[in-house]
Amino acid sequence: MSQLFEEFDEISTLAEGLDDAEAGGRIMAVIELANSADPEAIPHLAKAIIDPDEGVRKQAALALTAFDGSATAAALVVALGDESQAVREAAALSLTELKDPEAGDALLPVLTDSNEFTLLACLAGITELRRPEAMAPAIAALAHTSPMVRCQAVSVIGWLQDSTAIPALRSAATDEHPTVRRTALAALGFNKSDHSEKILISGLDDKDWQVREAAAETLTKSGSHTCIADLINALNDEYWQVRLKAVRTLGRLGASESALHIGPLMSIDVPNLRKECAAALGELCVPASREFLELFKDDGDPDVRKNVRWALGKIDSL
Amino acid sequence: MSDEILDGITQIDCDVLVIGGGTAGPMAALKAKRKNPKANVVLLDKANVKRSGAISMGMDGLNNSVIPGYATPEQYTKEITIANDGICDQAAVYRYAEECYPIIQELDSFGIRFQKDNNGEYDVKKVHHIGTYVLPMPNGDTVKKALYRQLRKSRINIINRYMATRLLTTEERVAGAICVNTRTAEFLVVRAKSVIMSMGAAGRLGLPSSGYLYGTYENASNSGEGYAMSYHAGAALANLECYQINPLIKDYNGPACAYVAGPLGGYTANAGGERFIECDYWSGQMMQEFHDELQSGNGPVYLKLNHLAEETVSEIERVLHIVERPTRGHFHAGRGTDYRKDMIEMHISEIGFCSGHSASGVYVDENARTTIPGLYAAGDMANVPHNYMLGAFTNGAIAGEDALDFSADVDFAEIDKDAIEAERARVLAPTKRTDGIPPNQIEYKTRRFVNDYLQPPKVTAKMQLAQQRFEEVRDDMENHMYVRDSHELMRSLEASSILDCADMAASASLYRTESRWGLYHNRVEYQRDDENWFCHTLLTKGEDGKPTSRKEPVKPYIVEIADDEKDAYNKQRVKATATAE
Amino acid sequence: MPLAHAASTVPVVVNDDLCIADKGCTVCVEVCPLDVLRITDLLDGRKTAHMKYDECWYCMPCEADCPTGAVTVNIPYLLK
Repeated sequence: MSQLFEEFDEISTLAEGLDDAEAGGRIMAVIELANSADPEAIPHLAKAIIDPDEGVRKQAALALTAFDGSATAAALVVALGDESQAVREAAALSLTELKDPEAGDALLPVLTDSNEFTLLACLAGITELRRPEAMAPAIAALAHTSPMVRCQAVSVIGWLQDSTAIPALRSAATDEHPTVRRTALAALGFNKSDHSEKILISGLDDKDWQVREAAAETLTKSGSHTCIADLINALNDEYWQVRLKAVRTLGRLGASESALHIGPLMSIDVPNLRKECAAALGELCVPASREFLELFKDDGDPDVRKNVRWALGKIDSL
Repeated sequence: MSDEILDGITQIDCDVLVIGGGTAGPMAALKAKRKNPKANVVLLDKANVKRSGAISMGMDGLNNSVIPGYATPEQYTKEITIANDGICDQAAVYRYAEECYPIIQELDSFGIRFQKDNNGEYDVKKVHHIGTYVLPMPNGDTVKKALYRQLRKSRINIINRYMATRLLTTEERVAGAICVNTRTAEFLVVRAKSVIMSMGAAGRLGLPSSGYLYGTYENASNSGEGYAMSYHAGAALANLECYQINPLIKDYNGPACAYVAGPLGGYTANAGGERFIECDYWSGQMMQEFHDELQSGNGPVYLKLNHLAEETVSEIERVLHIVERPTRGHFHAGRGTDYRKDMIEMHISEIGFCSGHSASGVYVDENARTTIPGLYAAGDMANVPHNYMLGAFTNGAIAGEDALDFSADVDFAEIDKDAIEAERARVLAPTKRTDGIPPNQIEYKTRRFVNDYLQPPKVTAKMQLAQQRFEEVRDDMENHMYVRDSHELMRSLEASSILDCADMAASASLYRTESRWGLYHNRVEYQRDDENWFCHTLLTKGEDGKPTSRKEPVKPYIVEIADDEKDAYNKQRVKATATAE
Repeated sequence: MPLAHAASTVPVVVNDDLCIADKGCTVCVEVCPLDVLRITDLLDGRKTAHMKYDECWYCMPCEADCPTGAVTVNIPYLLK
């Protein structure tokens, strides 16, 4: 009778394969160790990650995605310095899969590393772990020459949701690179203050449309009545994506004075925008916007119809 | 020699048998085992659970996440009821909507990541206003690996490469299943106190227009065994006439992804580059318009992205080419298609049964129970409508816990030795001949007739012809099919499931003498008829061994639907006066 | 009626020089949902994976999971 159930040897038996004279045999041992999902395999994989063969090292770096904690992170940090790009990239990828905050113990000392690749990978790895100790090195990394590093540093700060970092985010919001500016504006979402709002408002005038979009979107979370005039102004943005986010935010903020500015946007033939306008008009519930909504009661897009009817219903129930 | 046919039979016992290790199955097995770690839970798969099922390579996001603050169970239930033309038992949909958020959090803890914003909060994409359901998965390619690790940690007994062929039942309940090894033809009888079926869609029913048997929308290993086994065991199947038909990339047969491209401004257009439907949400009404445009002088139909900003196109490419169907990039590169310059030709998929996207499945209640005590169904094959991947996980979890409770209260049911012998004889018959018709030809012929006669628009006389042709193919299959090794034996069993599904599709479609669900059940001779057909149709195996159907009332709604909301998916065609911006 | 052999070009290609089937690797064979890959002997006595049955869904786990990058999945000719 052929084998019925999936069967697996003890970790120590599997690890013997790491002594195989041929690289292929060692790769197979790494795969079996990863499949075990047993943390006892971690020290063996840490050994495989410094194997003489590139293929074994790469497989070990990938295999460590199956595990978590500081021993896993430490082994991956070693691989970040590997001479092979494939091994380094595999290790960087595995670092982003860490979830256990304790894994940060192995990453914190490396957050001041001079090597750009290592720094970027460790910042990416620690973002989700939300370790407060990462704040200072992340703020320092905002001065790095690589925009990718600066961007990742902004994410680390944003995930920590600590208002003492607002000045750092403010300066990142004027970074020369649009992706850094965009990320910094989005990271301000957690902080509802005049200060943050001012930064976001100035983002509405950015030369890059995706930055303007991020500013308009983030004001949904942290905006107040102060930004309304600027958002109404953004309804004329040349990109419908920006207009759409401005409409949504005005709706969420309950900016009833914007209703008569939003209404005319409905005649623009972008269903995504119409949908959003109808929804916002429903939220704002201004009787005078009824004339715009009535025109689209039988719109071809079911989502637009649904939103228009919902909006009219809300106005009717006033 | 590999794939040799060996003689052998083994019997094992377990508390809960889960058949199918794709999406719903692993979650069912995990939940059963966690509820009682001493229980013997067996997870069996025709392939290998590491990479089996619809999400073999992963998934790019959730389409139907109901997350507090973004959507409510009431609103979700309403949307699904409307999308399904009112034929919906809301209890199961509502329960899904209530329980899916903890499942998302659990998947997150497995290492499957959902997109978070720059403050680390779920980044739910707004597609609809009232409900917001789309949650992208940036590392969606690791879903199966993460699930497998959980199975190993929980010490689930995994059996790979055994294909279940029939359920064993008594008068009162399920007793187990008969399985055959796909590489040796050895038999395995599993005596089980409860059985959960999570065997995916019937995706190899229609033939793709390429003619390639395996060029299907669904993972081609999902050949409808779950539907066939339920049928032969006497369970009821619901609304099978509500086919799954999807708008796909022509030839490649991968989704064109309204969910990815739509929110970013992509849309479906005709040959002139003009929008002809306003909403790309997959529904029967949308498919009807799509079909009409293909047939008109305005076709073919395209996915249009070439009007979008470069940044947006790159983002769409990144998502579409990395996760779910990674060969998509190869396909476009091979034809020199560049999203920036060219529109992408689309076509209509072959028909199939799948509740993940429509409503054709084994009839279950809100506890995932079928009409046979102790027998459960979850995922694409169970008729909780528009269920998608998260529905498979959530209803799999519900099935796992309920099945464990069922097993705790009962002893093993008696196994019918005669049924086992009869099944062995049926399965092995093609190995006992010295020549005959190979399974791939039986399958091709069945599926070609499915296309010729069952593909909508549905015509009575054509569907009756299909039934005659299917009977002839069945005679060939039962008396002349010939296989040379155990791999071909697996294909012969699949051919048999496919033919059973074809019979069910014809019978169910003939029974409902009205049109409903847009193209899915467009019977050209009949209008929609709410007076007589506002009901489920339940199909079972009749006394004569052929499918028979009956009406089943739709259970009273939990969430009321206003009259002016009921037609939400109708009238989708762009008005002639509309002009492009 | 006897069976004929119909030639078919297969989508999954394995680089024999990179394949480590000799070391007992069967990763690609294991992960294929349609079970179309097998290990075979080469003329020089080494082993390699190959596509035995032309029944491919071009889904890619064999290529993605191969530890040595030996497997390439092409789109089946009828579709490409």
